[in-house]
Amino acid sequence: MKFSSFSKVSAALLVALSLTACVEDGDDGVAGVAGANGVAGTSGVSTFVTRDDVIKTNANIAYAAYSDALISAQDLKVALELFTATPTQANFDLAKKAWLDSREPYGQTEVYRFRQGPIDELKADGTLGTDDAGEGPEGLINAWPLGEAIIDYVEPVDGLSGPETPANAITDNIIANTADYPTIDATTLENLFEHGEDGRNVTTGYHAIEFLLWGQDLNQDLSGAGTRDNTAGQRPVTDYSSTVGACTSGSNAATDDICQRRGQYLVTTAELLIEQLKRVTEQWEPGSGDHYQNFVAGGDVSLAKILEGMGRLSFGELAGERINIALIENSQEDEHSCFSDNTHRDIFLNAKGVQNSFNAKYVRIDGEVIEGASLYDLLVVEEQHELANKLRGSLEATMSAAAVIDTKAKTGMPFDVLIQEGINQPNIKAVINALVTQTDDIEAVITALGVTTNDLRDDTEQEI
Amino acid sequence: MYKSAITLALSLLIIGCNGSDPAVIEPVEPTPTPQPILDHSGLAPIAIDVIDKSEYLSGGDSTVFVKNENAFSRKPEAIIADFQLDGFFTQGDHLFRTPDDGIGPILSTGSCQGCHLNDGRGVVPQSPTTPMTSMLVKLANGKGEADPMYGDQIQPFSVDGFISGNTLADGFSIHDGSVSGVESLGEAFPYVEFEIITGSYPDGTRYELRKPTYKIRDLSYGEFMADVRFSARIAPQAFGVGLLGAIPEKNLLALVDVDDSNGDGISGRASMVKDVFADDSADKVIGRFAYKAQNPTVLQQVAGAYLGDMGVSTSVFSNEPCTEQQTACLLAAESENKTAKEPDLSDLSLALVEFYNRVLAVPARRGYDDASDTWTEEVTAGRKLFIEANCSGCHTPRHITGDAKGSELGELSLGGLTANTEENYAMSIAVLSNQTIYPYTDLLLHDMGGTCALTRETETGLSCTTGAECLYVQRCEGLADGVAQGDASGTEWKTPALWGLGLVQTVNKDSSFLHDGRARTIEEAVLWHGGEAKDSKDTFMHYSKAEREQLLAFLKSL
Repeated sequence: MKFSSFSKVSAALLVALSLTACVEDGDDGVAGVAGANGVAGTSGVSTFVTRDDVIKTNANIAYAAYSDALISAQDLKVALELFTATPTQANFDLAKKAWLDSREPYGQTEVYRFRQGPIDELKADGTLGTDDAGEGPEGLINAWPLGEAIIDYVEPVDGLSGPETPANAITDNIIANTADYPTIDATTLENLFEHGEDGRNVTTGYHAIEFLLWGQDLNQDLSGAGTRDNTAGQRPVTDYSSTVGACTSGSNAATDDICQRRGQYLVTTAELLIEQLKRVTEQWEPGSGDHYQNFVAGGDVSLAKILEGMGRLSFGELAGERINIALIENSQEDEHSCFSDNTHRDIFLNAKGVQNSFNAKYVRIDGEVIEGASLYDLLVVEEQHELANKLRGSLEATMSAAAVIDTKAKTGMPFDVLIQEGINQPNIKAVINALVTQTDDIEAVITALGVTTNDLRDDTEQEI
Repeated sequence: MYKSAITLALSLLIIGCNGSDPAVIEPVEPTPTPQPILDHSGLAPIAIDVIDKSEYLSGGDSTVFVKNENAFSRKPEAIIADFQLDGFFTQGDHLFRTPDDGIGPILSTGSCQGCHLNDGRGVVPQSPTTPMTSMLVKLANGKGEADPMYGDQIQPFSVDGFISGNTLADGFSIHDGSVSGVESLGEAFPYVEFEIITGSYPDGTRYELRKPTYKIRDLSYGEFMADVRFSARIAPQAFGVGLLGAIPEKNLLALVDVDDSNGDGISGRASMVKDVFADDSADKVIGRFAYKAQNPTVLQQVAGAYLGDMGVSTSVFSNEPCTEQQTACLLAAESENKTAKEPDLSDLSLALVEFYNRVLAVPARRGYDDASDTWTEEVTAGRKLFIEANCSGCHTPRHITGDAKGSELGELSLGGLTANTEENYAMSIAVLSNQTIYPYTDLLLHDMGGTCALTRETETGLSCTTGAECLYVQRCEGLADGVAQGDASGTEWKTPALWGLGLVQTVNKDSSFLHDGRARTIEEAVLWHGGEAKDSKDTFMHYSKAEREQLLAFLKSL
């Protein structure tokens, strides 16, 4: 089934239903949701949806968003191949642009984390686990912060680019260590992922590619100790030079094979990213995907998962780890996309994903709009008009606060500058506060709908 | 206060035993049936043959059902279900894993996770030339006095070893390298050499143990004090500590038996320590954390680790790990201060790490089938043998927790901390409060026997008195370390909790057991027991091979 036809049909259906509701207020059941024999209609309801409808739309949007992430990762790989084959500045810029583009849909998929979905629980053997996080492909796709010193050269600026414990460091780095890692391929990188059980030894995923494209963000003076400014990492294009004798590692000359290996690393990482995104997308494939099937048949447990993903992303991951930690530690390394200074988009897109889940609307990368039965509609149907409006409002408030950060970053004041003491911290705090408020409203919705996220894990005791 | 608490506890016990104190309890009817004997928690003692269903949930509501390499890194369901608490945990986890940018000038490691690998135990270096990165060496003499130059711990590295682009060796110590007061280096290079010793069970089965010798070379600031002793310690697993912190003190004091009045060969002393947050600094409370129970609260333990292990100052311990005599270290610390007078780590960050650490969940037992409520035969039999050998004399199976009160630092929120007031104290942590838990420890100090001797010798074993080639060498018999800390003598250790024991090497395959990681297996750890535990160990050794395997199967199910 194609989404375009599905969404058109459902849109037409919704229009028809809403017209009916406008004619009659439904108070006496005559034009109620099940016709004359049904229960009383709900005054002023413009749309009728059921819980299962909301769950299905949520699953369909998941598929669309992960599909977009997959498609844009493929585009990224093409751009990286072009660049490494012909390492011109123009192609370098295109490669970076492709990375930034690939982040747009992925950021909006993250609301599908923290809810026992395939991103967190799809095991290497292809089965779905029941543990909360830890076994899924999320780490391979989007792990951060990076101990980037395992991948490539770093400047001696602080202690934040190494592993958790020096015992888990490798000699030099993967790219420079030709003796231990003669071949840069998928096996090498996967084997070294979280080398020594060390969560900072991230060798794959978006942020590994980001580091290989931008390099460390050392600010304008490249010392890493100077004033924080609006520059991102400034890796020179000559780090990928194919001209004999012209290869560099930053400001130092390097042997030709280093540039070649760096290029191989880049393309290999893109391939691994595609592979992992493909696995997740397939789980969400309407009809055939295992998780899709389970989820749409899950009833209130699935409804609770939608809200759990929204709540936990809003508070713990976004407001907490991604924004607040960077703020209280005032640390450039603790911002999500620290090499490219793209953190403002991460924040905006994560928040957007939560809003998407509520409004049941997602704009695909080709402009197509996927929409359907929303939580908003459901709350209205279930006579929670005020709460529906409240959460709509708080999500909107978050988006407007996130838009301020987004705009500031695009006009010369990126997130890592904004978090500094005495700069524009109020802009950052406004996003945190808005996210806290929306989380409260999400909790109120969970209560109002009578679903509980606790139920999600009831079956885990049986796993022993 | 300590003594009166014991008296109170004893009198409570007496009441519990005969239930006939007329001043307290009005006898309802004159019944000849004696009141059941109650344990230190006021509960009916656990049965030898019958396993209570709750034993499967080692951490009560803080139990999780994960048995893979992430088993020690999980949060309780009640935390996941509360978006706010989930958020605090997530942030605390991030900080636990990430080196603070204020680490140093000297340190043992850069982040909490750097030693608590995967939230589990550290590892012993694989060779004498490999530095200790997830274990440390404490310093004191037999009277508990720290070294005047080096303090109470060797920090083997300077921060230079942790700077990106450098290698760890850039932070190593150099003989007399910091004496001139200019260059701040790591303090010294401790390492371990193992000798294989053998023994046999009464049934003739042979076994091998690794006996450690500790050696220290390359002292940057000159020599140690004359009567110094070294206590090497591996980072323990980090979970479950919030529950241990919530056991009512009176319940633990009820287990104290200083003079062995029950004649079971086990005494058990409380380590009474200073609570840095106590209003009256003269008051002492029971120590619960670290190998000699030096710290009374998770917060104090965490802040102490930031100071001693990472060189990160906090409002709790506002100094850096340099002693007054370490000029080079002090100078480096001065330049480290990025914002004058403020601690490296904010109270908000510290409170997040404290929260994370407190609620890190306890893995459920294995060997149990929930559906049929049955245990495997070997676990059931092993449990019985464990109790019969009186291992449970120190490894107290069950406790209950009381009110797990909120952080001393205040009420957490994303915006910051709200300071505690008399009327408005930080909210208690519900998932840790009023739980029945099975940690298998009494948190008391026990004399585990052994003696230590320190010599100065060269790498080849020649006696020496001074110079770069002249090592400090400590050899001990048994488990003793010769280091006194607070109430704990050089032969005393706090009973460590046993929960999660069977998953230690799942979480980190290179992990090993006992305070210094000398035991490669749980069986070896049992065989090292001495002193007050000698009778229990002898009983174990006299068990048949099948019985020993059952007992070990029980331990692995914890």
